[in-house]
Amino acid sequence: MAVKTQTVQTLTLPAVLDLNAASALKTQLLALRGSPVTIDAGQVDRLGTLCLQVLVSAGRTWEADNLPYTYENASDAFAKTTALLGVSVEQRHGEH
Amino acid sequence: MDMNEIKEIFFQECEEQLAELESGLMKLNDGDRDPETVNAVFRAVHSIKGGAGAFGLDDLVAFAHVFETTLDCVRSNTLEPSPDVLKVMLKSADVLADLTNAARDGGTVDAARSQTLVRELAALAKGELPQPVAVVQETVPVQEPAPAPAAASDEAEFAPVPFSFDDFGLDEPETQPEPVGKPQYDISFAPRNELYAKGNEATLLLRDLSRLGDMSIRCSTDSVPLLDELDPEAAYFSWKISLATDRGEDAIRSVFEFAEWDCDLTIEATHGNPSTVTMDENELPMQPVPFDLSVLDEDEAETIGGIVEQEEAIAAAEAHLESLNASVMAAQGVSNVVVLADNDSRAEALKNNSSQPQAMQASVGQTIRVDLDRVDRLINLVGELVINQAMLSQSVIENDSHGVSAINMGLEDLQQLTREIQDSVMAIRAQPVKPVFQRMARIVREIADTTGKSVRLVTEGENTEVDKTVIDKLAEPLTHMIRNAVDHGLETPEKRLAAGKSAEGTVRLTAKHRSGRIVIELADDGAGINRDRVRQKAIDNDLIAADANLSDEEIDNLIFHAGFSTAEKVSDISGRGVGMDVVKRSIQALGGRISIQSRPGQGSVFTMSLPLTLAVLDGMVVTVANQTLVVPLTAIVETLQPEASAVHSFGAQQRLISIRNSFCPLVDVGQILDFRQTQADPMAGVALLVESEGGGQRALMVDAIQGQRQVVIKSLEANYNHVPGIAAATILGDGRVALILDVDAVVAASRGQSLRADMPMAVAG
Repeated sequence: MAVKTQTVQTLTLPAVLDLNAASALKTQLLALRGSPVTIDAGQVDRLGTLCLQVLVSAGRTWEADNLPYTYENASDAFAKTTALLGVSVEQRHGEH
Repeated sequence: MDMNEIKEIFFQECEEQLAELESGLMKLNDGDRDPETVNAVFRAVHSIKGGAGAFGLDDLVAFAHVFETTLDCVRSNTLEPSPDVLKVMLKSADVLADLTNAARDGGTVDAARSQTLVRELAALAKGELPQPVAVVQETVPVQEPAPAPAAASDEAEFAPVPFSFDDFGLDEPETQPEPVGKPQYDISFAPRNELYAKGNEATLLLRDLSRLGDMSIRCSTDSVPLLDELDPEAAYFSWKISLATDRGEDAIRSVFEFAEWDCDLTIEATHGNPSTVTMDENELPMQPVPFDLSVLDEDEAETIGGIVEQEEAIAAAEAHLESLNASVMAAQGVSNVVVLADNDSRAEALKNNSSQPQAMQASVGQTIRVDLDRVDRLINLVGELVINQAMLSQSVIENDSHGVSAINMGLEDLQQLTREIQDSVMAIRAQPVKPVFQRMARIVREIADTTGKSVRLVTEGENTEVDKTVIDKLAEPLTHMIRNAVDHGLETPEKRLAAGKSAEGTVRLTAKHRSGRIVIELADDGAGINRDRVRQKAIDNDLIAADANLSDEEIDNLIFHAGFSTAEKVSDISGRGVGMDVVKRSIQALGGRISIQSRPGQGSVFTMSLPLTLAVLDGMVVTVANQTLVVPLTAIVETLQPEASAVHSFGAQQRLISIRNSFCPLVDVGQILDFRQTQADPMAGVALLVESEGGGQRALMVDAIQGQRQVVIKSLEANYNHVPGIAAATILGDGRVALILDVDAVVAASRGQSLRADMPMAVAG
């Protein structure tokens, strides 16, 4: 990718990431593809499984693109739900 | 029965568990290596964790979890409970108590301290144990409510998720269950696309599952494709879950009740019964437990609204209430006997791997938990009964001039009975001082830490019983005295060695019964009171004249004066503006006395003498200037009829009475209390020889003695105001109110010194 010099894009996740939000999240993430991304999870009040799948998939995609993909400001709800589901988001990509 | 009440029961349980924890750790510290002791300690922490999990007290759960994991290493003999290890554990017990208190009363906990301990505990566990143990839920006195978690309605917070990983930075979250405990289930849960399409949310299912017990979880994310190929509505995640619960497979299944057709679900019991049950689409759920709506927010509820009807929400709420009730009943039934019953059932469980409910076994215990208010009401009523009985006999006596009649004899029996009833009722409230003493162990530890002194606390007579009201009020003055003893009393290890003592100081706390009172002694083997410094300080503070001639005892007693502190610099331990005067006042408020004996270089002994109860008192009923007063019998040494030859004048106002070749000041109670302006004729009255705490004997002059009687104490402070020289009031047999004399205050006033603030009227008189 010839876009490594691009500045880091930040995606601030909305408060509600329920079942209905998954498609929109995917679209948003796809739009950022090609740039290093920081996911700001500070606003998240509710995180559903589908959206987490999207985020994990995105992490994997960015990894495949060899671009940084990081989380920051994980809210309490975000951290707790990922812990509850046994999915690690601390790393740059989804857990294997 | 609301959540708060259940929570309150939980906190009561916590107190018991914390006491258990502390005494267990102390035993270990003393070299006890009985596996049962270790088990008891482990169970205490585990029970707190379990209960805390049910109430969403995440901080408490998190800390208890780490603590428990380390304790488990001790239990499995992979960690030797050396003194260093126990030091960390004792501190952890303190922090656990703090966290419990903070959870109950609000307030904060020293986060740095608990973080440090978490690290230390984790290090201890990591050194020996390859994996943290997914700990099994057991013996939670307050049962968790059925899958529907009531906590959600009260707590805005997320549900507690007592996991076991991450704490130690280990990568492998799936862990082996501990060998002993509740049945373990391996659950494999793979949602299909339909599950999400129908509006179900795996998060909520897993959350409900986690509430059944201790759960560790591993998510398989392997099938998640790259973003391009991802169907955002499809199911990719699947989970392997290991859950320890005693709720049975049915409870697990009921969590998945609404999702089971849309997922691949396997539940396998790994403890004892390895039967693998695969749920297929034809199989109906065992026991329909309504889906829990309370964990959902409104928005989310809407998305699954098509599936879960309103009625089900109500049913859920009802099921909820039922389970809460049941758990409260269970909690009440188990309460005090939890630990004992637990031991038995634990052994049982070991033998046959059974998962019998603890409550069944707990019911063998013979204690119940009763609200203190109820006991108080009973005590109050019995008090009224005693008064009423006395009034009745008095009026019978007044109307019956023929001496002994059948009625009179019946009344005597009644009096006997009421007295026995009263004693029995008081016994209900009597409790050993042990919990208070145990708390002191912690205080000592903390101050020893802060001051860098090495202190050993020895307690004796912990099982001495005293009324609960006294116990409750004992902790504060005792805490302060212990602080003083360590901070001011004991020397630093260097000084101690230089003085030829062992580096470790000893503080001895003793309780015993002595003539109807409880006597608590606090002795230290420190430097004793530095009388020169006390004296100088008293002069500096204008407490005494520079040329005052004071006995050693009087100098020692100066430390009980307001605003007196001999510490050269104010330390943050005892220099908090609370002095021994406050201690003395709170002891006196309990109807107690405090005294000090000190020997330079050898230490000091504080002796507190307290009534066993604050409800009744044996008193001598006397007449003073046409008023009826009650003098506490415990204060009276003897009574005598003064003779003219024995009474001597001394100065303008003072009079002395000679008793068996010694002189004793004669104090006219009527004058001290301002009942009359001139002194009564000693020969016309009776002298009560009393012993007061601050020193020596006094002869209190009263006009006449009416008799001895047990009186029910009615607080003046609560009903009217504090009256100097008067301790409380009572109601006599004839229905009149009589005041109970505060002997110490009267004696102090007669000395014309010190207690000016307490006795403005008397000093003026």
